[in-house]
Amino acid sequence: MPLIDMPEFSADLLAEFAARRAERVNTPVIQPAEPFLDMAGEDLRRRIFLTESETGANLCLRPEFTIPVCLRHIETATGTPRRYSYLGEVFRQRREGAHEFYQAGIEDLGDKDIASADARAIGDAMGVLKTVLPGRSLALTLGDQAVFEAVVKALGLPFGWQRRLIHAFGDMAHLEALLDRLAKPQPVAGLDPEIAALIASGNEAELVARIDSTMQETGYSTNASRSPTEIARRLKEKLELAETRLDGTALLLLREFLTLQLPLAEAPTALAGFADAADLKLGPAIAMFDARLAALANAGADLSAMTYRAAFGRPLDYYTGLVFEVTETGSTAVLAGGGRFDRLLTLLGATELIPAVGFSLWLDRLEAARAKR
Amino acid sequence: MNAITIALPSKGRIKEDTAVIFERAGLAISAVGSDRSYRGRIAGIEGVEIAYLSASEIARELASGTVDFGVTGEDLVREGMPGVDQKVEFCARLGFGHADVVVAVPEIWLDVETMADLGDVAADFRARHGRRLQIATKYWRLTQQFFSGSHGIQLYRIVESLGATEGAPAAGQADIIVDITSTGSTLRANHLKVLSDGVMLKSEACLVRARKPGHEEDPRIKQIVEAVRAAL
Repeated sequence: MPLIDMPEFSADLLAEFAARRAERVNTPVIQPAEPFLDMAGEDLRRRIFLTESETGANLCLRPEFTIPVCLRHIETATGTPRRYSYLGEVFRQRREGAHEFYQAGIEDLGDKDIASADARAIGDAMGVLKTVLPGRSLALTLGDQAVFEAVVKALGLPFGWQRRLIHAFGDMAHLEALLDRLAKPQPVAGLDPEIAALIASGNEAELVARIDSTMQETGYSTNASRSPTEIARRLKEKLELAETRLDGTALLLLREFLTLQLPLAEAPTALAGFADAADLKLGPAIAMFDARLAALANAGADLSAMTYRAAFGRPLDYYTGLVFEVTETGSTAVLAGGGRFDRLLTLLGATELIPAVGFSLWLDRLEAARAKR
Repeated sequence: MNAITIALPSKGRIKEDTAVIFERAGLAISAVGSDRSYRGRIAGIEGVEIAYLSASEIARELASGTVDFGVTGEDLVREGMPGVDQKVEFCARLGFGHADVVVAVPEIWLDVETMADLGDVAADFRARHGRRLQIATKYWRLTQQFFSGSHGIQLYRIVESLGATEGAPAAGQADIIVDITSTGSTLRANHLKVLSDGVMLKSEACLVRARKPGHEEDPRIKQIVEAVRAAL
């Protein structure tokens, strides 16, 4: 690793990571591109530096550390719980700022005590930032997808609609479009009457057989892509979901929930009040939210610097609960970003569920913030 | 005075149709040297050169600003450069070379008629199939803009396809395609259907200007644009 241009506070960071018992790991700068594109989607393609090996494999310059650290964990099969830290260069095509810059962070893998691991990740991020930016006022914004999932479930929406809304969580434009569809359902038009009749009569076997025979005739192999059963079942589900209408009150509630933004310490009362007024049972998600807050308070975190924003999430399917961002008070430059990604390790090939939470520090922005003084 | 370069398609119907429009615009092209030369001039305007290039090269030269004008398909220009509207101006739509860039899925996907349906399918594709939904296309930039920009669909993978894209789903190389179609007959022959809101771009041949410093003051630029517009 080139040591010459490392941020001057790198040693402080590494000392902090060691004191927080996170084992320092390094990963190659040149990485297989597939896991990044698979996890984050094709949008990433224009933001990373891609190249091809002589044998045609897609390679990229490491755009972040979480996926390489998790892959390394799976390959080395060292068991959990484990706490890893990293500090190194990452490479991204950005409109503003350099294309190569340093990131550092901690990934906490396999701790089954979700509330305390969440609180520790927040505490670590804030603690490390305070060391690097002594005396500065920091602001943390926190979101929790699990609370949104509970609200959507409590509204009694069919499972398919819950899935759509949860998938869009964090992408407000997409979410708004879905809410519009729920307000004004459009019946499915143009369906072949014979197919419609088969669905109406509940004759799934016949429908599947028909799809299968058409596939055979038209040369669409039934094993490589979607199967006849999958198509038949989703068609039936689609017709049911198309009739789902969320009444005005429920829509208003959902929209009201998404506008919630308040000091974190007041969030439990506000969420309980919201659930009561709306007559929604939010159960375990709220209990987890409260337990995390209690763990934060126990660890002596400064709750007054923390805000809960109900609509804050990341629309990627491996994020599952907590997300957070830290800025200097009054600034928009994100110095640290983190969250819980319980689904990532199994998506990457782990054979068992490994709960995971972590955060990443943007060292170029930290340098800029330090220089401001 | 700097020479102005106009890049025109070097072969096929689009070359002939372009020549007709330029002729009608009073911008008759004379070949330099033999008829098969790849250079030409415009009689009557001083210092205007014609360079015959392939349609995709024209998009690339416009992006790099090495030519002043180009005639090529809007699809290739939009695919070829980020921030396209800052870099070039679409001066005139020429009324030929029509092709729609569309999202097409197997006809037998009875449950998929709209991009929203496709979004549902893409969302749990990995859970069902152990991989993301695969799209065969050569239009990866347009696909990204349309899928994630306009429809909030992020989780899919592009399989680059440089030819016979319509055959990819049946051959098992991809699940769906993004490709150009003019009459739809190739799609139908391959048992594919266009989604009802799956037309990403209605493309045709366009006169495109690279936004270059110096164009403002050069009367020939305005003259060429107005002559072509008047000929349509």
